Amino acid sequence: MTPPDAPTPTTGYHTIAARVRDWAERSPDAVSMREKDFGIWQEYTWAQFWDLVLDAAHGLLALGVEPGDRVSIHSEDRPEWFILDVATVAIRGITVGLYPTNPAAEVQYLLSDSGSSILFAEDQEQVDKWLEVSATLPKLRTVLYVEPRGVVKYDDDRLVYWEDFLETGRKHRAEHAGEVERLMGEAQAEDIMTLVYTSGTTGPPKGAMLSNENAEFAIDKIVNSPQRIPGGGAPTPDDEILTYLPLCHVAERVFSTWSVIGTGAKANFAESIDTVQINLREIQPTVFFAVPRIWEKIHASILIKGQDATRFKRLMLGMATRAAGVIGRERVANGGDYTAKAKLLDMIWRPLVFRALLERIGMRRCRYASTGAAPIAPEVLEFFLGIGVPVYELYGMTENAAVATGNWAGRMKLGTVGEPYPGIGLRLDGDTGEIQTKHPGVFMGYWNKPEATEETFTEDGWLKTGDVGVWVDGTHIKIVDRIKHIIITAGGKNISPSEIENKLKTSPYIREAMVIGDSQKYLTALIGIELDTVGNWALRKGIPYTTYRDLSEKEEVIELVQQVVNETNEQFARVEHIRKFRLIPKELDHEDGELTATQKVKRSAMEDMFGDLVVDMYGPKG
Amino acid sequence: MRGRPLLYTSYQEDQSLLNTWTKKLMAALFLALLLIAPFGIVPGLGFLGDNDWVKLMSQVFIFAIGALGLNLLTGLAGQVSLGHSFFLGIGAYTAAWLGGEAGGALLGEGLPMWVWLPAAAVVPAIIGLIVGPTAVRVRGLYLAIVTLGLVIIGEYVFRNWKGLTGGSQSGRTHPEFQFKFWKEGTPLFDFGQDATIAGFQISSEVSTYMLMLGFAVAAVLVAKNIQRSRTGRAFQAIRDRDVAAEVMGVNEFKYKLLAFGLSSAFAGFAGALLASFVGRSIPERFDLFLAVQFIAMIIIGGAGTVSGTLMGAAFVLILPRVVRDLTDWGAAIVESGEGVLAWIGDLFIATSPDDFGLINTLPGVGPGLSVDQLNGVLFGLLIVLFLIFEPLGLYGIWLRIRNYWKGWPFTY
Repeated sequence: MTPPDAPTPTTGYHTIAARVRDWAERSPDAVSMREKDFGIWQEYTWAQFWDLVLDAAHGLLALGVEPGDRVSIHSEDRPEWFILDVATVAIRGITVGLYPTNPAAEVQYLLSDSGSSILFAEDQEQVDKWLEVSATLPKLRTVLYVEPRGVVKYDDDRLVYWEDFLETGRKHRAEHAGEVERLMGEAQAEDIMTLVYTSGTTGPPKGAMLSNENAEFAIDKIVNSPQRIPGGGAPTPDDEILTYLPLCHVAERVFSTWSVIGTGAKANFAESIDTVQINLREIQPTVFFAVPRIWEKIHASILIKGQDATRFKRLMLGMATRAAGVIGRERVANGGDYTAKAKLLDMIWRPLVFRALLERIGMRRCRYASTGAAPIAPEVLEFFLGIGVPVYELYGMTENAAVATGNWAGRMKLGTVGEPYPGIGLRLDGDTGEIQTKHPGVFMGYWNKPEATEETFTEDGWLKTGDVGVWVDGTHIKIVDRIKHIIITAGGKNISPSEIENKLKTSPYIREAMVIGDSQKYLTALIGIELDTVGNWALRKGIPYTTYRDLSEKEEVIELVQQVVNETNEQFARVEHIRKFRLIPKELDHEDGELTATQKVKRSAMEDMFGDLVVDMYGPKG
Repeated sequence: MRGRPLLYTSYQEDQSLLNTWTKKLMAALFLALLLIAPFGIVPGLGFLGDNDWVKLMSQVFIFAIGALGLNLLTGLAGQVSLGHSFFLGIGAYTAAWLGGEAGGALLGEGLPMWVWLPAAAVVPAIIGLIVGPTAVRVRGLYLAIVTLGLVIIGEYVFRNWKGLTGGSQSGRTHPEFQFKFWKEGTPLFDFGQDATIAGFQISSEVSTYMLMLGFAVAAVLVAKNIQRSRTGRAFQAIRDRDVAAEVMGVNEFKYKLLAFGLSSAFAGFAGALLASFVGRSIPERFDLFLAVQFIAMIIIGGAGTVSGTLMGAAFVLILPRVVRDLTDWGAAIVESGEGVLAWIGDLFIATSPDDFGLINTLPGVGPGLSVDQLNGVLFGLLIVLFLIFEPLGLYGIWLRIRNYWKGWPFTY
């Protein structure tokens, strides 16, 4: 099976909807999606997928959705997300994704900013958030729900059950056959297909408008990139993909929706973020994308379980980990490929430990893994390379449809985000070192925010990413930091906090770190411990504790973190040393506003929330 | 799904008997081993070709069928029963009545095997269904006493119904394993005679072995399928907490009845096979000791599991034989009087009346225990030890080994 051909002019622009239709014609009985329900993985074929898309698209038409109207989806990852997304694109509407963790206030902002007329709120939890703010959203006509539990009792005629919606669609489809196909035939390259809201570490989120052409470019460059996978070639319909990160984020859209629709691979929906590790083991995906947080979690769980193992197993695991370290370093020095020495060590340790270990973490059949969306500690990547997971760091952002740079098989450089995709425009600004891109994947602008859009582009039309980078060996790019995060100390020294933060976060005991010191004499840090690992450590040491806060305040824990800080300081110049630190007394959370929906630390919120700790470190301003 | 053992896309896959390729291969190899073992051609296990071993293994199969029945009732549904031997007896005498020689001194109709063998399962099942409702009323210890009463009543009836059982002194013969259409003189196939099949000489022991193996395999399949079906899950729900099971919609009355019925059917079938295999039986054969033996099988093997029950049946029947062989071997060494082994063995084995030793191999009463007594002691000890240290039995030991490697390289 080959991927669908280039767009044919008679059928309108080759949107993702057209791609689904092509797959349904080409291989109607092949599996497109799997969802775990009642304990087993229920399968959807491409024909069923396309049939449901048509029903949903006609359903939207029956609800009066017109080209350019916004359809919001507030849901965990599930087949209905894919179906409604594709159906919306099919009738030239615009999909808006909301994070399942978005609290009601943010839901209100996103729905009113996008001016959505239809909302898909999967269950009672999300319906309740909408109900709380529904009075302020007059434009929103219909709310679809798919989990009837609790919702059926609500007396609100704007609520429509998903199955009823599909039934309406089927009726409409019988009466107006060919209507959706006609709209698909009118699709244009510059039609906006989706609004992807940026996480907004500073200020309110902005809706980045991505067009059909942007998506097509991302599929062409990232998904079908020939250099990506070791051994060459793009994913095939035999590949298994686990869909578990929020689909409203551009990364998961690229690596789930667009990968599946672009290559015919199978999407497997994880039950929830808590069951990812179990689902990984069941699915054993062949192509896997994860944010650094997930890689760190898997790494930490290996460490914890390793320490809890019986003596002989601990011995074997210890030796294997050392071997993995050697293999990892050899591979890193060799562009990601095995050297003779690494291959030999791998041949010894794979049957003994690595194979079982990979099976446990669900990477046994993984032929390509990647990380992106946030910086990752090189040590973690080295470990996974060592045990045999071919993991590569990528770089991109919402505004350029995630197309910027990537590490290729056999040519990776650890600590860099790789080389620009071939044939795209990517440059570093002469003065600031800011990375700028120009290619057909660059977005159409922010929704209803012309000034913000203007600010994002240079005068000659290049996208300003806001990330500072440097060239490594003239081919690879290393990200220094966000422009806005660079710290200038009282001594006038420019310091990139994220480099230090990432070094700190290499330790399995540290979950969050925020380095502070703008216009101060020395650097300090707010550090959040990882409850699982530190809790396990405390248990082993016989230190009793009750809550996260209690654990954070233990002398022994502070000493443990001090050690990590000291080790980190050794790797940096004197001005970059962290002189003092404080442990934050609570786990950071999206709902409390310290984290964005993508689990990035909101610096301003942190400074508000833990201002007293900062003052404590620097002493009262004299 | 191939290559992804944990990815189930249907309940059929999820519940399949042998869900991985490895399990299928191992099951096939094990069955093949059992099939060729009686010919004595398996390297290292050549002794299995000896006639007494072939007979012993045939008995293992018969006891396994009975134990599978008790496992359904006690292991799976959690209903303690000391009355298993009663149902074996009913099965045996049903078979004897229907299949026994017609026109003799004792009751007998001379019907063929395809009549008396199924009947030996059906009649006990019906009686089991009659007894079953008591289990809905009484639980645990009280149920044990009720079933104990069955054995006592059963033994009394068997002893005194001399027209059927022949009474304690003489007992009676049981029908032979023969394929017949009806009451014709020459059977289609007689398992009591040596035969030639496709040029191969098959002794009567081996052909009987094959027949018993076939029945045992069928019984395993039935038991496994009951266990993994709705019925099996209902049994386990009742075992874990009958009140909770009923709240979940499990009909307690129906399933307890079913458990007794099914278990008795297995027992009756095994009883008929056992009696016919031995050839002659007295009413005292179906006493409390036999019931305890079955309980020992499922405890030592692992209550609630089919493979454990099979292991238990094999263990309980083969152990006495192994102990006897070992003692004889030890005694021979001691008598030869050479080497360190002989010196150590002398401490434990008494070879003359004035010799000190734990075990003696002399005829009649001597110092220490006879081999039979030793076996009895060992059994008691094993049951106690298993209950304390490994309640899941032999299967539990296997499970522990398997889990050690399943968790590799972690512990959980």
